[in-house]
Amino acid sequence: MNCDLMHERLLAAAYGELQDDLVHELERHMSDCPNCQAEEAQLQALKLLADAYPVLEPEPNLVARSRMRLEEALDALPPLRWYERMMQRAGNNIARLQGMPVAASLLVLIGAGAGGLGGFRMAEIRAAQAVNQTVPSALGVQMQPMANGTPAEETINISSVVRQPNSGMVEVRYNHVVPERIQGSLEDPAIRQLLMLASENSDSEGVRDDSVGLLAAECRAGHGCQATGIRDALMAALLYDRNVEVRRKALEGLEPYVTQDVQVRDAVLEALMNDPDPRIRTAAVNLLQPLEADTSVREVLYSVSNSDRNPHIRTVSRQVLSQVPEIQ
Amino acid sequence: MQERAPEMELIRQAQGGSRAAFDALVRQYEQQVLRLALHLTGSEHDAEDIYQEAFLKAFRYLGNFRFECSFYTWIYRIVTNLCLDQMRRRKTRREDHAVVLDRSGDEIDLLASVSDERAFSNPAKELDRKHMGEKIQSALEKLTPRERMVFELKHYQGLRLRTIGEMLNTTEETAKNTLFRATKKLRTQLAELR
Repeated sequence: MNCDLMHERLLAAAYGELQDDLVHELERHMSDCPNCQAEEAQLQALKLLADAYPVLEPEPNLVARSRMRLEEALDALPPLRWYERMMQRAGNNIARLQGMPVAASLLVLIGAGAGGLGGFRMAEIRAAQAVNQTVPSALGVQMQPMANGTPAEETINISSVVRQPNSGMVEVRYNHVVPERIQGSLEDPAIRQLLMLASENSDSEGVRDDSVGLLAAECRAGHGCQATGIRDALMAALLYDRNVEVRRKALEGLEPYVTQDVQVRDAVLEALMNDPDPRIRTAAVNLLQPLEADTSVREVLYSVSNSDRNPHIRTVSRQVLSQVPEIQ
Repeated sequence: MQERAPEMELIRQAQGGSRAAFDALVRQYEQQVLRLALHLTGSEHDAEDIYQEAFLKAFRYLGNFRFECSFYTWIYRIVTNLCLDQMRRRKTRREDHAVVLDRSGDEIDLLASVSDERAFSNPAKELDRKHMGEKIQSALEKLTPRERMVFELKHYQGLRLRTIGEMLNTTEETAKNTLFRATKKLRTQLAELR
């Protein structure tokens, strides 16, 4: 047994600080160890000697004098200013928080969780808004929700649109984090949604051409362009697409609706007024011919017949206008 | 616990600005504060200064007391720190260790003021005891301020090592080791007396 350790325990025992479970061990060691017995005797002697320098009670005079001096000093102290009291309270509050590390940790965790969740929800909402904003708002085009869980809103880019030969099937390749592919009928709302996105968003002119061509064919064939946003997509393509072939196909697709849909008529009139390509403007004049009696159509035709930079279009416009008896 | 409840109420009132409550707290602890300071410094004048400074500090910072320890521990912590500062300042002490100075500068013999009630006491033994007391005080002076403080609080004030550790902002184990070192040194110093 290590006597140095026992000496420490002897001291603890002498001052009543030794744990109960160690007392027995110490006693057993002491019975066989003269060195530790001597140590104990010396320790007891020291305790006895130390008592020869006793602790005295302070004299009443000293107590009274000290108290009076303190009272004078306390009276002379200025009262705490408001900001000192505030700082003391703030310090106490901070210390109280430090005293409750679990509560503080929980608060931090809850805050971080709520912040993370809020951020995630905000990102979701913004992503949805970003997709919706890609549709030109001038014509009030609305994005239709996708059926069957097709990832229309998360679609980033459409890379190709291919119609299967001798069938009504269409294959659309699109990038959705990783490139994906979907195949289905032109009647399939998911396919239609992707085609509409392709007509407005794709960087590839070929993709836009293919998608607008397919949508226009559907409209010309009378396959349900009423309830969906296909008509809006075609109007957007007519007015804003950079490719003349895409605009031409969009105009063809809109033909069945010129007489009955005012929005379509306005879009065609705008194309007639502003499209840079004379072929589009000529086609627009021909499209509007059945509507020469319409006031707005007449005004546009009159304007075009006078100011269009293409003589052929001016001539055609005049011919159309000449067929209206009221104007003659 | 029953004793602590009114004390806690006093502390709260004093924290709220009640001077009467603070005075009551002072009266409760002033004897112990003076006793400790007097025994450690050996000077009434120093003890009075420590008393004054300790209670002024307590008054100023009572708002920071958060009941995490007993008020007794808190006030003792202030006093022991002040005593340590005082002992460090006064490394060289008077040779006449058994004598303390009162306010007027007169000497008080601490050992002579203690009566020996043992049946076999006689003048020769009284003289021996006084001599021993001087030697012990001299040996105590040779300890470091911290060792002296731990020995004082343990041997003379009878505090638990855990409380001593709290007062000196250290652990119970460190306080125990410091006490062990102090007793070793004292025994070496006092070997000639045995």
